[in-house]
Amino acid sequence: MEPAPMKHKPFCNIRNLHVSFHGRTVLQKINFTLNNKGILVLVGPSGSGKTTFLRSLNRLNEYYPGYSGGGKIELNLSGSMQDIHCPNLELTELRRQVGMVFQTPNILPVSIAQNVNLPLKLVTGLNKAERKERLIEVLQEVHLWDEVKDRLKENSSRLSGGQQQRLCLARVLALKPKVLLLDEPTASLDFKASHRIEDLLLELQDRYQIIAVSHSLRQARKIAGQILVIKEGQIEHLLNKEQFGDQEMFQKLLNDIF
Amino acid sequence: MNKLLNFGIYCWSWIATFGVFIVVGLLLFYLLSQGLPTIGKELFFGDAPVWEAIFGQVRVWDALWPACVGTVFLVLLAALLALPLGISSGIYLACFAPKTFKRILSLLVELLAGTPSIVMGLFGFALILFLRNTFLPDANTSLLLAAACLALLILPYLIFTTQSALESLSDEYRLIGPSLGFNQMQTVFHVLIPAAGRSILSGVVLSIGRAAEDTAVIMLTGVIANAGLPQGLLGKFEALPFRIFYLTAEYRTPDELGSAHGTALVLLCLTGILYSSAFALHKTLEYRWNQHR
Ligand SMILES: Nc1ncnc2c1ncn2[C@@H]1O[C@H](COP(=O)(O)OP(=O)(O)O)[C@@H](O)[C@H]1O
Ligand SMILES: [Mg+2]
Repeated sequence: MEPAPMKHKPFCNIRNLHVSFHGRTVLQKINFTLNNKGILVLVGPSGSGKTTFLRSLNRLNEYYPGYSGGGKIELNLSGSMQDIHCPNLELTELRRQVGMVFQTPNILPVSIAQNVNLPLKLVTGLNKAERKERLIEVLQEVHLWDEVKDRLKENSSRLSGGQQQRLCLARVLALKPKVLLLDEPTASLDFKASHRIEDLLLELQDRYQIIAVSHSLRQARKIAGQILVIKEGQIEHLLNKEQFGDQEMFQKLLNDIF
Repeated sequence: MNKLLNFGIYCWSWIATFGVFIVVGLLLFYLLSQGLPTIGKELFFGDAPVWEAIFGQVRVWDALWPACVGTVFLVLLAALLALPLGISSGIYLACFAPKTFKRILSLLVELLAGTPSIVMGLFGFALILFLRNTFLPDANTSLLLAAACLALLILPYLIFTTQSALESLSDEYRLIGPSLGFNQMQTVFHVLIPAAGRSILSGVVLSIGRAAEDTAVIMLTGVIANAGLPQGLLGKFEALPFRIFYLTAEYRTPDELGSAHGTALVLLCLTGILYSSAFALHKTLEYRWNQHR
């Protein structure tokens, strides 16, 4: 039988990650190595540090006043493991490769096209025609193209919440990231819009390593390849498909945690 | 009880809003009723023929035209001096200044904001005295000096509004740029400033209004009653608020008082025009930011 080396490459290696704000510890003693087995979903009570964990992976925590932290994080970015704190790695380059979509749709108050176009223009060196091509490509990738192709010049705030969230996703995808960080991408969406995003993530999981925070256990079970349970800033469990596949066992486990 | 309180607050806010409305309405009504009848060729140009007066071929005596032109030049010049400085300082304070340095700078800006306008005028006046006694025996109060002192007066407004407009953007919004791999400059100029544009504009508009109405500064720095059209940056000039001031202070006939009201009305319209052009400018900038790239 053939082994499946492609699918199970390590993509994330974290040693002794800790983060605090104004001296208050938010994350501590985070240690794990993960292989690429589909979407990694983070669950945990609110305030347990899920968002902070995501922001450690693209070093966005460093923007906040009172931040201090340490530890080693390696991500599989360009085929090999890359230390994200390595001085040779430009922050802007790291953040292009590790794209993030926030909890609430975070569009720029400009036209739909411009939301994708502006980052493309500033971050990649693409010319106008290439940018246009990329715009169409990513809008199709997130299934937004048919809905907006006639109104690209309209202000993006007229889109619905779900459309805005997909636009944010498209904006990130346009930069060709390796890793996608999604912070409760469906938190502000209704049931139907959530389903669309979930299906979309399942489609994208082969092309990007996705790490998503989820507030819904139903959603976590639907999209996850692995589930990471965080509680009070520490990792409680790392569950694989067999473990959370059994609904009863999973529920019991979570009841203990929440 | 709670309900009663709510009702009370509701009524009070209603009364307050209505009150403001009434006061502004009364003011406008008074100005219009007193000033409107005086508006006409006579008020603007006196006895001088209109076209020649407009282009400065004929001297206008005892009428508004030179003061209108003087005020427009004064405000534009002051804005030209203050806008780039004020807005960039605001941007620096909000986005780039290190913490302790920022505290010191903010203190200085506050100090500047607290300086009464007459003191700015005195400062300009003292500067001229100093120059006369040292390098430039010919130095005199002028349009340029008045505009510079006015610029100093409105500078803190511009800095404050720019700074607070930028700082009031949400944390999440600030992170959009970095999360997409923008550097600090790109974030500031392509994400933050456009979003703060509207509030920055309102600061600009307020300070233009402030510059247009201030009398104390210019009184000591170059305005005179019958200068005619401004003769260049280093010449004397007339200005609307100053004209209103001396007409009401020294009127001898009811007609003169009436023309003071007319002047006030004209000043109001003039600032209105300046406001709307600032607004139009903002609209075009916003449009360009949105579409053409
Ligand atoms: N920028 C920050 N400054 C101060 N405290 C923060 C900051 N970000 C997060 N925290 C604190 O860290 C804890 C975890 O926050 P967060 O990561 O947002 O949790 P979650 O996403 O799991 O709800 C919370 O107690 C929060 O108050
Ligand atoms: Mg969160």
